Amino acid sequence: MKANKKERFIKTIDDHKKIIYKIVNSYCPNREHRKDLEQEIIIQLWNSFDNYNEKYKYSTWMYRIALNVAISFYRKEKKQPIKNDFYDEESIFSIVDENEENETSLDFHLKLLQKFINNLNELNKALMLLYLDEKSYEEIADILGITKTNVATKISRIKLKLKKEFQNI
Amino acid sequence: MMEASELKKILAAYDTKLDKKLTLNVASLKNINLDKSNKNTKTILIYRIIEIVVFSLLALFMGNYIAINWSQTHLVISGIIVGVFTLIALAGSIGQVVLLQQIDFAKPIIDIRKKIELVNTHGLLFVKLMFLSAPIWWSYIVVGSDYLFNIDLYTHMDVDFVLKYLMVNSLLIIPLVWFLNKLTYKNLHIKWVRKTIGLLTGTKTMKALEFLNDIEKFKS
Repeated sequence: MKANKKERFIKTIDDHKKIIYKIVNSYCPNREHRKDLEQEIIIQLWNSFDNYNEKYKYSTWMYRIALNVAISFYRKEKKQPIKNDFYDEESIFSIVDENEENETSLDFHLKLLQKFINNLNELNKALMLLYLDEKSYEEIADILGITKTNVATKISRIKLKLKKEFQNI
Repeated sequence: MMEASELKKILAAYDTKLDKKLTLNVASLKNINLDKSNKNTKTILIYRIIEIVVFSLLALFMGNYIAINWSQTHLVISGIIVGVFTLIALAGSIGQVVLLQQIDFAKPIIDIRKKIELVNTHGLLFVKLMFLSAPIWWSYIVVGSDYLFNIDLYTHMDVDFVLKYLMVNSLLIIPLVWFLNKLTYKNLHIKWVRKTIGLLTGTKTMKALEFLNDIEKFKS
């Protein structure tokens, strides 16, 4: 029974690994601490797995948990490495041929976009990630716990900021 | 100039790349102790439960003290004042346990962040209670000296002094309540409020209050 649950859990993580990967990279600029944040998110997802509410999409559930954990992690006063259980092992997520990834996809615009996201506060960062992931206003409102109108207003403000940021390119 | 839609395209291309290249390291995932619970939340919960036990015992003690000394008005009044403050502190600690029980990371971010930060600002309640106690600090002394040393201080006091003391301290209550009402995250933009809170509580509470302020701004 538990083995079956674990298999289902692993499959869910595999299906939505991009969500965790992007959140970890956005909220944890320090590469050394990313494994800790990955681990914290996975543990929290596992602890909440039995209580998953089918009313929401898996992605909504995962975004809420991963963002909540990431914000808590980001806000910790001293971001000292947590002694994790797989310290000497590889990260949970890895990029095949990382060198190539660094050379091609992290191009100028993407780096600029990441810099822009990194400069936003914790809550606007979450909003931006959801917006760029093409989530509907309704889903963003569900994940964040604000109204759809508020989502729309905030997104238009961020879009303006984004335009300014990229104006001189 | 680059439009937001173009940025979305860049991100979509990055997404496609991640689809191809991002892999889940199942062996590492299986190595994590998944049943590890949230130690930090549990520790805070234990502290708050200890607070509840201590304040409950103190409230019971004060109830008993008032009952025993029912015939001596000054001891009853002192006992009631200390008892009321104990009950406020008890209510604060119970509220914290309720908040901690409601923290579920699968709930919307704003709700959960607010609850977490309210837990982190708990220290401010004790600072406020301490200040609010200032005009009636004599209650603690009267009850303490009577219970611990069996000395009734009131009988040794001059009536004129007691009356003047009561008048001056009653006048203090109004500015004190005004002052304490100002000490909230909503007034962090006021320099003296910010400085006072920073001085009396510490970095953790201050950061939590600042974030509560950010949350309110984000919601509006």
